[in-house]
Amino acid sequence: MKIFHNPDLPAIDEYYEPWTYNYEKLISTPQKKHQPSTRPKSLITGQPIRLKWGPNWEDDLAGVSTTGSGDVNFKNLDYQIYLQFKKVFMFYLPRLCEHCLNPACVASCPSGALYKRDEDGIVLVDQERCRGWRYCVSGCPYKKVYFNWQTGRSEKCLFCYPRVEAGLTSLCAETCVGKIRYVGVILYDADKIATAASMKEEHKLYPAQTELFLDPNDPEVVAEAISQGVPQSYVEAAQASPVYKLAAEWGLAFPLHPEFRTLPMVWYVPPLSPLVQFLEESEEAVHNPEAMRIPLTYLANLLTAGDEEPIRLALRRLMALRSYMRSKRLEGEADSGVLEKAGMTEEMAEGMYRLLAIAKYGDRFVIPTVKKEKEFDLYQEQGAAGFGPHGA
Amino acid sequence: MSVLNTLAFVVFPYLALTTFVVGHLYRYLTNPYDWNSKSSELLDKEGLKIGITIFHWGIIFALLGHGAGLLIPQRYWDALGINSQAHTLFATYSGFVVGAAALLGLALLIYRRISKDRILATTTLNDFVTLGLLFFVVATGFANVVSGLFDHFDILNTIAPWLRGILTLTPDASLMLKVPLRFKIHILAVLTLLGFSPFSRLVHIWSVPLTYLFRRLIVFRRREVSL
Repeated sequence: MKIFHNPDLPAIDEYYEPWTYNYEKLISTPQKKHQPSTRPKSLITGQPIRLKWGPNWEDDLAGVSTTGSGDVNFKNLDYQIYLQFKKVFMFYLPRLCEHCLNPACVASCPSGALYKRDEDGIVLVDQERCRGWRYCVSGCPYKKVYFNWQTGRSEKCLFCYPRVEAGLTSLCAETCVGKIRYVGVILYDADKIATAASMKEEHKLYPAQTELFLDPNDPEVVAEAISQGVPQSYVEAAQASPVYKLAAEWGLAFPLHPEFRTLPMVWYVPPLSPLVQFLEESEEAVHNPEAMRIPLTYLANLLTAGDEEPIRLALRRLMALRSYMRSKRLEGEADSGVLEKAGMTEEMAEGMYRLLAIAKYGDRFVIPTVKKEKEFDLYQEQGAAGFGPHGA
Repeated sequence: MSVLNTLAFVVFPYLALTTFVVGHLYRYLTNPYDWNSKSSELLDKEGLKIGITIFHWGIIFALLGHGAGLLIPQRYWDALGINSQAHTLFATYSGFVVGAAALLGLALLIYRRISKDRILATTTLNDFVTLGLLFFVVATGFANVVSGLFDHFDILNTIAPWLRGILTLTPDASLMLKVPLRFKIHILAVLTLLGFSPFSRLVHIWSVPLTYLFRRLIVFRRREVSL
């Protein structure tokens, strides 16, 4: 009954109505007593509009009075307490397409225009096959597919695939000023995806997904990968993968809202925040993530479907790392005791320090170039590829 | 009169149908990116819901009804035990229902297109021509159904064999000589719409996602090895 309209499609007002200003007027107005001014006008109708919402409207807590009460991450928390001026907290959550292992947008596309690339897992919209059904927009729980009302097609993040093919990282990661984005290869067991995505209890989804990731240093895994045609360079990149370390080895990174069951592949390291309560002046209190300004429950709702334990451990490890490095650098005597309490070794701490604090470009992005020489006769292909209405 | 009749019901249908076939092929092959019906739901959701649903179901069943009534010769229906009277009766009443649904839905959609600023601003001349033609076709079709209630005309032995003649390349314009004007207008309007449809947003009709019923849910694509 409903295939001719999409009842779950967000309307443009739920994003914001795009607008511009008549800048020309500022220059061309003849001299008057008052400064010329210009009113916002809609980019859709060209009519003047009153602005009510816009891009990044809620940055830095600005819109929290409007959106705070609707924040699902306050589940099991009294959001009103945290919206008080003294208690309020914020952190940034840059979002991009998750390039899920079980992408809902791909599954919901009637035309089969959305697809996941076999070689690198990037999820793309085939613009020539997209017929503007808009089911990907409502299907994606992260709302990272957008409908272009001018072309009548859906568009999404393409993870800068031409760069990735050339062994470069996506531009968002490349240009990150804080150097906090990491991109690497992960080998995973595709046969277990269905089992992992259909875990009954929501908090088991995160551990199930980490179990999909194969240890690239395991000789058996390497042998199997090579026999299945994974190029040697991919395996080597997987062995040096910063992402595998953060997500699987060290347990520092978590999937965003794993309860959506799409097995997202952009993971987040939970932020440390200032300690707000000292119960006692003991070592324990200083290393207690419970005392942080951002409630643990909030982060757990965001990253592990409500399971606080993994988040607590990750935060403890990050704190222990700081404490360890402080003791090593300032006190001149490395205190490995704090590491042991967080289940870490000195080698692991050094690795974390190198990747997180030094954060060399070559360590953060380990991306193999695409092995085209095996698939194409490059000699035949030269001069044959180009841009045009009929593609390459 | 006969020359005009031949022009209208032999020459014009083939012109229209040729444009229909060649036009679709041309558009699909030269500009696949343009194959789209530009949904405006993002810009206005509420106004769309009722109109688009009843229009589409109405027009689909109207098309199926036309196919069953005009393309399948009456002798097959007779074999099934449906004589021409029963056939006409069923066609009239079901045609009334689906025609009314399509007409009402289309009227709602046209109203939406004109009354909502955002939709009006994103509507092209092509869209208006398409809508106008479509409305004319549906309105004349519905009027024919209604007039058929009072003034019966034997379509099954005139228009239906004429149409089959066109499609089987054995046209016979003389079958159309005694057809009342109201049917002729509807037929000419439909042919015009068919000729125009490859150049309009109506091409979305050919994108019925039947493959969705059979394909696996997650589509993987490997880089194509080109030669």
